[in-house]
Amino acid sequence: MNPIKKIFDLLEYDFSDAGKFAKLGPLFDATKTFFFLPSPKTRLGPFIRDHLDLKRYMSVVLLSLMPVLFFGMYNTGYQSGLARGESLDFWSAFLSGAWVVMPIIIVSYGVGFFWEILFAAIRRHPISEGFLVTGMLFPLTLPPTIPLWQVALGISFGVVIGKEIFGGTGRNILNPALTARAFVFFSYPVTMSGNVWVAGATGVDGITGATALAVTADGGTSLTATLADQGFTLPHLFFGLVPGSIGETSALCCLIGAAILMITRIGNYRIILGGIAGLILTALLAWLLPGTYGTWADAGPIYHLCAGGFLFGISFMATDPVSAPGTNPGRWIFGFLIGFLTVILRVANPAFAEGVMLAILFMNVFAPLLDHLVMKHRISKRIPNV
Amino acid sequence: METLAPSKGFKLKLAGMPDTSVIRLTRPATVGVSAQDIPHIRPKLLVKEKEAVKTGTPLFCDKRDPAIQYLSPGTGTVKQICFGARRRLLEVVIALDSMDDFVEFGPVTSADLVQLPDQELIDRLKQGGVWQSLRQLPARDTADSGTAPPLIIVCLNGNDLFSPHPGQVLENNIPQFEFGLAVLKRFCDRIIVAARTSSMEQLNPVRHLITHQVSDTYPAWNPGAILYHIKEKPEENTAWYIHVQDLLHLARFLKTGRYPVETMVTVTRGDDKKPHMIARRGAPIPLLAGNFPAGSLITTGRFNGRKVDPDTHLGFFETTLNILPDTPEDEMFGFLRPGLNKPTVSRAFLSCLIDREVQLDGTLHGEERACINCSYCEDICPVDLMPSFIMKALHGDDIEEALELGLLDCCRCGLCSFTCPSKIELTRILSQGMDTHHKDKQG
Repeated sequence: MNPIKKIFDLLEYDFSDAGKFAKLGPLFDATKTFFFLPSPKTRLGPFIRDHLDLKRYMSVVLLSLMPVLFFGMYNTGYQSGLARGESLDFWSAFLSGAWVVMPIIIVSYGVGFFWEILFAAIRRHPISEGFLVTGMLFPLTLPPTIPLWQVALGISFGVVIGKEIFGGTGRNILNPALTARAFVFFSYPVTMSGNVWVAGATGVDGITGATALAVTADGGTSLTATLADQGFTLPHLFFGLVPGSIGETSALCCLIGAAILMITRIGNYRIILGGIAGLILTALLAWLLPGTYGTWADAGPIYHLCAGGFLFGISFMATDPVSAPGTNPGRWIFGFLIGFLTVILRVANPAFAEGVMLAILFMNVFAPLLDHLVMKHRISKRIPNV
Repeated sequence: METLAPSKGFKLKLAGMPDTSVIRLTRPATVGVSAQDIPHIRPKLLVKEKEAVKTGTPLFCDKRDPAIQYLSPGTGTVKQICFGARRRLLEVVIALDSMDDFVEFGPVTSADLVQLPDQELIDRLKQGGVWQSLRQLPARDTADSGTAPPLIIVCLNGNDLFSPHPGQVLENNIPQFEFGLAVLKRFCDRIIVAARTSSMEQLNPVRHLITHQVSDTYPAWNPGAILYHIKEKPEENTAWYIHVQDLLHLARFLKTGRYPVETMVTVTRGDDKKPHMIARRGAPIPLLAGNFPAGSLITTGRFNGRKVDPDTHLGFFETTLNILPDTPEDEMFGFLRPGLNKPTVSRAFLSCLIDREVQLDGTLHGEERACINCSYCEDICPVDLMPSFIMKALHGDDIEEALELGLLDCCRCGLCSFTCPSKIELTRILSQGMDTHHKDKQG
């Protein structure tokens, strides 16, 4: 018999309802089922079931996040080296980045799981796999300079207020990872905007630590020329070697993740494609507006697509099935409006350089309304059977 | 002939298709009449233990209409009457004598049929224990003889993917089939005869009688799914349906005046190709199933049948046994494996890249979780329902909304539960909602 299985069998009684650690039963179950995928016999028909379960579902999302995670680690080290005037080789850049990023991820998972276990123990329900994704998404949306206590506070808010008070995974209205980010963003603006995007760059002069979206051109030059001046050339924006939140900088890695999600059908392609279409169309419209020379309205769709966190948000945040609409036409509209709102916020609201977080949260709130309208339409098409 | 090819359904290839050869099983020691696969019945027993019965003696009737009787498919003595929890009748077991002694109801010829008044025909069918093979949608209750149906669907294929092949069932029985259709014509002018595409090849002798050819994707041949795709107005919702073997029983009963006792059964197992079997109705499960590994799950339809105990008997409507293998142990890091041997309708395992026959065991492959709104159930539902939304409406006790969303169109194919990654028992929740509604309506 498998030795790990033996350990679990030995401990089983202590964590059962009659055991001394009965309260920690959900933690034991979660750990045990992590090692050994449970497959109880079907009691009710249908008697055969698909192999896909929530553990696999969330694992595929984590898999799709691997490119942005690893690239984020590398880029964090690379930017920090660049700021200090050192030129790092690949591995030293990756390792120094990982040294910054790993603590943020560990704090996010550790504190988040504490809340998950607490709620599961009090409510006596199993720990849902949804947090595996939330705990990874949240750190990827943060600047590498974020203080760890803010990470802890943010993920606590995201998990407790964003999810658990509604009843846990599957019942939340807003995306918990974005709720956590919004909390940190509005509570600690100093650590979430301005020159915060490069780790280890404090005290170094002559560094513009802003992100591409904070750039505006003055007098006469075009936006793209100004962007290129500050290091934000289109290839840099596309491949991601620019300062920014840990996971969002590389459009390429986000697209790889989006492709994994769409091919495996774990993420809904309607949301991603709808979002990209909404962004491109709105950016084109803004581009055609007169008198916007030198601002982000003049940037055109390609720059809007590659700069900032839009691709990260639409691929990984907006595709969260719980907070997105549950009907297919609803998903197209949902995605499209996220793209639309992202550009509108970037162009029309100077207070927020980045609009995608607010666009997604705003559309999360409207997802049930979209579903309601779609269902009313579908019902009207059915031959009634009452 | 029209073609119905709904785009949604179960598209994996399952292993275990039975062979098309036919064998006749030996006479069993016992037969049983099960009340477990008869929807909505409230059985009232008409016999006691140790009582002698003939082939065709009524064993129990339906309290809601005592004229609807369930007859003994053999001659012998009542060995045991089995009850389940809350004294629910499970089955009446009869120990068979060596010879059959039939209750004679008197034959009806084709010429007689034209003369026979409607009511007399209905009474005779009820008396002969065959009326109940006519079922009425959407609740699948016994057809209401008091109202005329808008249409009658004759299903040539059974509830399971590997139910008896209509080619085998109809071989040598075409006159009875035609006679059966003539009987149905007495109730309604519009008769739909539907067969799977893959069955058509062997159905050439009755090709002219088939009105609809349906695709080979489960559950396209389910009466509820057929009705959903052909109906044009709400009045058609109360269509009747009958399975081909039941229609043959009905015809045989009228023609011979004796209760028909034989039926064709398939037994399917992933790594086995068993022949079609002609068996006594209500035959014991061990006789049909033969040898199988311990721990296997036996069902009468892997998607919408019931789980059967190995020491019981085949039910009134049932024609298939699936023997599903047991999984030995929980798999270590199961959710991280590439999954070449994990069949799925999603694309989350590498198995989706390989086109081959697959086996699925009788386990959940995960644990129940809250609904995450992923729409896998909607993507597979053959009648375009949104099972997750209906489930939420039913949980909120909002039957009105559930009905508006099309709850009664549900054909109980089981695919929503099959595909749900949160392992929610959607089929059970929807079926219970429909059954409660039906019960309330009956008052």
